[in-house]
Order: sequence, then C-alpha cells, then structure tokens
Amino acid sequence: MTRVLLVDDHPMIGAALQMLLRGSDYELLDRARTVTEAGKKIAGLKPDLLLLDVNLPDGSGLDVLRKISRSRSRPRVILLTAGMDEAQLLTAADLDPEGMVLKTSDPSLLTECMDAVVAGKKWVDPEIAERTRQAEAKAASAPPLTRRERELVELVRQGLRNRDIASELGVTEGTVKVYLHAIFDKFHVENRTELALRAAELIAR
Amino acid sequence: MLATTLFVIIMFGRSSTELTQTYPFLILYAAWAVLIAMVTWKNWWLDARLSFLTHGVDMAVFTGLAFSSTGWSSPFVLFFILPLLSAAVRWSWRETALTATVLIVLFMIGGFILSGSVGFELQRFVLRAANLLILTLLLIWFGVHQRFARTFLQADDFDGLAENENPLGRALSRALQGTQATSGALLVGPPGEDPSDGFAVVDGKSRSFSAERALVRDTTALADSALLFDVPRNRALTRAPEGRFRFLPASAAIDVGEAHELGLTQGLIAEVRTGAQQGWLVLWDIPDLSTDYIDVGRELGSTTGAILDRHILLSAIESGAAARTRLSLARDVHDSIVQFLAGAAFRVEAIKRSAKGGASVGSELDELKRLLVEEQGEIRGFLMALRRDRELELADALEELRALAERLSQQWSVDCSVSADGEHGSIPIRLQLDLHQMLREAVANAVRHGGAKRIDVELSVDNDQLRLHVKDNGSGFAKANGEDVAEPWSLKERVERAHGSIQLVSEPGSTNILIRLPLAGAAA
Repeated sequence: MTRVLLVDDHPMIGAALQMLLRGSDYELLDRARTVTEAGKKIAGLKPDLLLLDVNLPDGSGLDVLRKISRSRSRPRVILLTAGMDEAQLLTAADLDPEGMVLKTSDPSLLTECMDAVVAGKKWVDPEIAERTRQAEAKAASAPPLTRRERELVELVRQGLRNRDIASELGVTEGTVKVYLHAIFDKFHVENRTELALRAAELIAR
Repeated sequence: MLATTLFVIIMFGRSSTELTQTYPFLILYAAWAVLIAMVTWKNWWLDARLSFLTHGVDMAVFTGLAFSSTGWSSPFVLFFILPLLSAAVRWSWRETALTATVLIVLFMIGGFILSGSVGFELQRFVLRAANLLILTLLLIWFGVHQRFARTFLQADDFDGLAENENPLGRALSRALQGTQATSGALLVGPPGEDPSDGFAVVDGKSRSFSAERALVRDTTALADSALLFDVPRNRALTRAPEGRFRFLPASAAIDVGEAHELGLTQGLIAEVRTGAQQGWLVLWDIPDLSTDYIDVGRELGSTTGAILDRHILLSAIESGAAARTRLSLARDVHDSIVQFLAGAAFRVEAIKRSAKGGASVGSELDELKRLLVEEQGEIRGFLMALRRDRELELADALEELRALAERLSQQWSVDCSVSADGEHGSIPIRLQLDLHQMLREAVANAVRHGGAKRIDVELSVDNDQLRLHVKDNGSGFAKANGEDVAEPWSLKERVERAHGSIQLVSEPGSTNILIRLPLAGAAA
C-alpha cells in the first residue's frame, strides 16, 4: 500500500481523490491546504507519494518541492496542476519531479501516472511536456545575460534589496531599478521573485 | 521698501528743522521695516501672523509723518493711500474700511492736538480730511471688487457626485453661487462640434435639455475672454487679446433665437474646456453686472472646466477600479470552474470504477448532481457580478459574502457565518472584491495561525464607512511562547491599499479584527 499525501486547497479535488483512491493500492493519508501545512504534514506523516498542487493560498507548490528536494529521503512527487505559466514550467523542469499531471486531462491519466511513478519511472503529461519544450526553446533563443546583468541576477537570487545591490555594485539605487526592469523585459519575467526562481537557469546560459 | 521711499521723499525740499524731527523717527521705522522683512522672508506663516501688527505700526507711523511734514509738498496722499491700498490688496473691503476709520480718527486726533499750534492751517486740515474720505470710499470699492479673486476656483473641493446627480448641474451650481446669479446654463459637446448637451437652472428650477442650434455664433469673440451680452438692447462686449474692449451687436455674437429659447436677457458667456469636451457657461440675472465680469467670466469658465474634468477623472478612477474588480472576479470564476470541473471529472472516474466493480453508485451520483447544481448557482452569481454596474446593493453584497463564508467553511472545516447591522444602502463594486479577499485572508489566518473553529463576521455601513468585524475563537496571533505577535501583514496591506484602517485585538480564545473602509473617493 502506497501512502499518499495530497497538497491542494480546493475541497472538490480533495473529496474526488478520496473517492478515486478508495479501494485502490493507495492510501490517502491526509490533505494539506497550504505550503506551511504541507511542510508540517510531510515531516509528520512521511508519505511515500506527494500529490502537489502548484497554486496554493500562501505560496507555490514549487516552493514545497524545492524545500523537500534538499532532504535525502524525500517522497516521490507528482505535480497535479490546473495550469502553469512559462516561468513555472521552467522551474518545474529544473526541480524535476517524478510526475506531472494536468487536472484538466483525462482523470485516468492520474492513476496511470501514479502507477508509473511508484514503479520508479518518470511520467509527464504530454501537454505539459510539449509546453515545457516550447518554453525552453523560447528561453534558449533569448539573448544571454551581460556580465553586469549576471552579477545583478546573482545578487537578487541571494535575496538582497535594491539598496544593498546598489552599494555592492557601486551604483545608485535608480540604476539598479533600470537594470532590473531591463532584465524583466528581456526574459519576460514579472517580478524579482520570479527572477530569483529562474536565476539558476539564466546564469547557466 | 515703504520706509525707504518715504525717506527719499522727505529728504527733498525739507527744512533742516523738519529733517531733525523726522530723521530719528524714519531711521527707527526703516530698521523696523528691515527687521520685519527679514523675519517674514519666505515665511508665509509669520507674514500672516504679523500682518495686523505691522499694519497698525504703518498707520501710526504714517499719521505721525503726515503731521511732521507740512506745507505744499507734504506727501500726505502717499502716507494715507499706502496703508489703505495695502489693506485692500491684502484683505477685503471690511479691513480697508476699518483701516480708513482708524486713519481718519488718528488724523482728527492729531489735528485737534495741533490745532492751537503755530503753522496749523484749519482750511488745509479740512480739505485733507475730505480728500481722505474720498480716498477711503475709492479703496473700499476696490476692496469690494477684490472678492472676485477668492469667490471662484473652488474645483478642488469637488469630491464626487451623489447618485443620479448631473455633473453639469454641479458645475453650474458652483458658478451660480460664485456670481450670485439666479439663472444659468451649461452646454457641452465633443470638440469641433456645437455644444448641445445642456443643463439649465432658471429661477431655481433646473432641467436638462438638448440645444438644437449653436448658441454662440462668433466663437472668436470668446476665444480669450468672456462675453457680456444684453439681448433686448442687442449689445455685446468682450475683450480683445491685447486687452482693449471690443463692442459688437449681441445678434452677431450669439443666436438670438436660441437666447430667447433659454430666456437670456443680460449676462455673460464664457468658454468651458475639458480634456474631452468643450462648451459654454451662460449666466444671467447677475446682480451688479459690470465690465469686471469679462475677466471674472473667463476664470469661471476655467473653474467650471476643472470641475467637469475632476468629475471625469473621479469617474474614470471608479470605473477603473470596477474594471479591475471584474477582471479579478473573472479570474476567480475561471480558477474556481477549472478546479470544480477537474474535481467532478475525478469523481466521475471514481464512480465509473466503482460501478465496474459492481458497487451501487446511486448515492454518489446524487451527491455529484447536488454539487453540480450548487456550482451552477455559484457561476450564475459570478456572472451577475461581472455584469453589475459600479454600485452594489448591500443586501446582494451580503448574500455573496454569506455564500463565500459557506465555501470557506467547507474549505477550512470551520463554522463561518456572516451577519449584518442593516441591509439597506449600497457599496461600490470595487469594495466587494476587497471584502471577499479580506474575508478569505481573515479566515485563512484564523485557521492557520489560531486553529479557530468558529468565525463570526459582521458587516455594517456607518455614515461614509464600511465596517467589517471578524471575530474568531482561535488562539489568536500570539505565538505559542507568548512573546511575539504575528501580524496579519497581507491583510494589513490589502486594507491599506483600499485606504482603510485595521484594528487587531488578539488574545488566546478570542481574536477581533475590525476593518474600516471608506465608501467614497478611495478608488485610487
């Protein structure tokens, strides 16, 4: 019996999965509705398999995945999502979960994915795989970072504020803002959080 | 500056005796003037504070100087006209009249004191007193007409319209108040077209109308100034760009037929321009109509345009906020529907598998049907909200909040209820989304941080404020060690963005959050 923890805030999904897994080889241990709750329940229940939604009320399921990726014995993870934007797709590909399923796909695909993942295989929804390929191609065609941009992205990744970045680089705070917005435009990034999430991918170019 | 001017005047043609008498007086006064100039330099507050004191000193000094310099070349007129002019420019006709009265009294007292002395000329004294009286009347008249500068330009206190209030009506009423005219009309239209949308107030009765013909024939006559008209006598007067008067027949400037239609007799017309419209402000039955109104009318036209612009701006801000609300609602509904349909599909898959195994699935199908019908109601509610105008009845807002509380109760496994202190009135639609998000965050906080099981929400409208009181039975925001208090930052930020205030009283077993949101003027 595979012990499953669901991380999803929508009650309808919770109830439906409980029904779907009833009488199967999977035991639905509990449901966490937030990133915080997920952290606690993963540590407490030690599930074998995590069904993880991406958009949660207090943050992203990708943060949960990033956090547990650092631990040695993490559960296998299936991202169960209603949809991801390009940045999320690239981050997800980077974090490399065992499975990715769209909630909007045929429900039988979820059990197919779960079976594959438990058997030690990777399983990615064809639509997600295609969209990830497109996002990666688009990102690859974007111009590389300049030396100054690379320094700035690295400092953003370290969580520094504009003022600290300015003093670190020996420029004014206004210049930092101008540079940042140019980077946002160049890589179609919405904000500094998203930039920090994609920092590794951008610097690696 | 005045002291220096006087000093120079006194220097010329004075006898050495006069100079000896007035020198120390003038030096002291010049020092005083320099001191006042220094302390009030770029200090408007002190300038205003000291204005009465310096004015009093000026009057005393000038009276003294009037009597210390005699003969044909005495700068008598200058001595008196300067304090009067200063009062007229600085304040109003009342202060001018008061200054004149004090000066006349001081002059009389000085005259009586000196009446027995050598060199006192009674005839000259009487003539000067008469001149003083004429000067006083002139400057009081000047002071009276100074009021125009302050009567208008009040566009800033325009803070939005009441429901169903016509913006043209509001702008026109300001102009009528400013000029004390009893009748007026405001016509506007798109640039390049004859203004036809009108609003008129005639002897206290107001009406909207649509002008069939262009009221103004010669628009060049109104390009740089307002126009005064007298329809019965067929006269019109305006000012050319270089400042001189331009006389023309009323029939050449305005359409007499349209003027009769409106009931115009004698009054003024000024051009009104806004960012998106242009038109005419027409005022008639103005008491004491004079040529001053040519310039006043121009100011009035600008102010009226500013009021209309301000209305358009406030209206656009409110519409923008409503549009953002609709967009957020649309995102909400999209996300909610996708999640629900995904859940429903999983359920159908589960039912299919159960049926395949030979189990009875009737109750599960009934449950799914119930959920589908419920969701249908939710979606209908969302769609109605998207179609809604900028205002929302409080009763409808409450109904939606109660539905949300029910959903949150299920989602967080808590008992969340919404009550209201009265259900009459309406709220801006932009606040409805804020309320939804605030309730979501308050409930999530109560469960996540306080482990609350019961949440009571009370909504009330108090004058110009919307109050949301959220009370729960959780452990509150105090952390387990009792040292720190975790502030609900995201909720606070949301309240601040809506220009509201939040009050938090938290203790184990009871947490109260009181949110106040302004109903008007906070859309930005």
